[in-house]
Amino acid sequence: MTDNDGSRDAVVIERNFDAPVDLIWKMWTDPEHFKAWYGPDGATIPVAKMDVRVGGTRLVCMEMQFPNGPMQMWFTGEYREVVENERLVYTESMSDEHGNVASPAEMGMPEGHPTTTEVRVELQDVGGRTQMVMTHAGIPTDSPGAAGWTMAFDKFALHLQAQGNRSS
Amino acid sequence: MTTAIDDQRLNETFGALANSTRRAILARLAEGSATVNELAEPFEMTLPAISKHIKVLERAGLVVRGQRAQYRPCALDAAPLHEVSTWAEQYRPVWEARFDQMDNYLTQVRRQQRTHEHDD
Repeated sequence: MTDNDGSRDAVVIERNFDAPVDLIWKMWTDPEHFKAWYGPDGATIPVAKMDVRVGGTRLVCMEMQFPNGPMQMWFTGEYREVVENERLVYTESMSDEHGNVASPAEMGMPEGHPTTTEVRVELQDVGGRTQMVMTHAGIPTDSPGAAGWTMAFDKFALHLQAQGNRSS
Repeated sequence: MTTAIDDQRLNETFGALANSTRRAILARLAEGSATVNELAEPFEMTLPAISKHIKVLERAGLVVRGQRAQYRPCALDAAPLHEVSTWAEQYRPVWEARFDQMDNYLTQVRRQQRTHEHDD
């Protein structure tokens, strides 16, 4: 079983795009471009406010359609590093429509989901194409239970194993 | 990099766990293997209903069934639980889908740009 250090929880995805770095940079920093790709699986992005400078805030609304009506989820955060066409780092937390941070538990997420996560985008020009590395990581200092889903599932797995060992 | 097969597996694991009867079955199996009849005992459910739950758990790889006679005892396999144990792994398919969409959108944007250049 992995240890419960939340800082190790991260998604790292590398992608290569047949487009110049400045266009990929706009995909992340120009609200109109951002809205066009950020909502997967039928979700739309009705609101994307981005003050792209260090210390600037962002507010994004994701809307999903359900048979009984639309559901909105709001996310807020702050830009931490802004190096045009090279490096973008921002934080992300669930919030209300005014950007007041909400705890993941309030939003129906499992206990232990980090309150604040960090998204890091690194771009590199490769002969007119772009190599992009995106890292989405939990920020343990902001949330004592930042081990995230690990908490719930590790607990469950350990519980099952303990019971199994006891009776065998 | 994740594959469609990994995604499918994660979906099945989560789907299997999203039910209190199935979680109770897993908890019972953690104490040792059991037959379908034994598993059905604590629940006010018909055998076919319990069998359906067990099939879901089997598909998710959480339960394996012995080949022994007609009893075919069920046993727990906790391995798939480790794969879904981080919130981060839950985000991975979301990001992959987003970047697929970015790729498609980029194609559109670049086609438009070329058309405009041609017009100039």
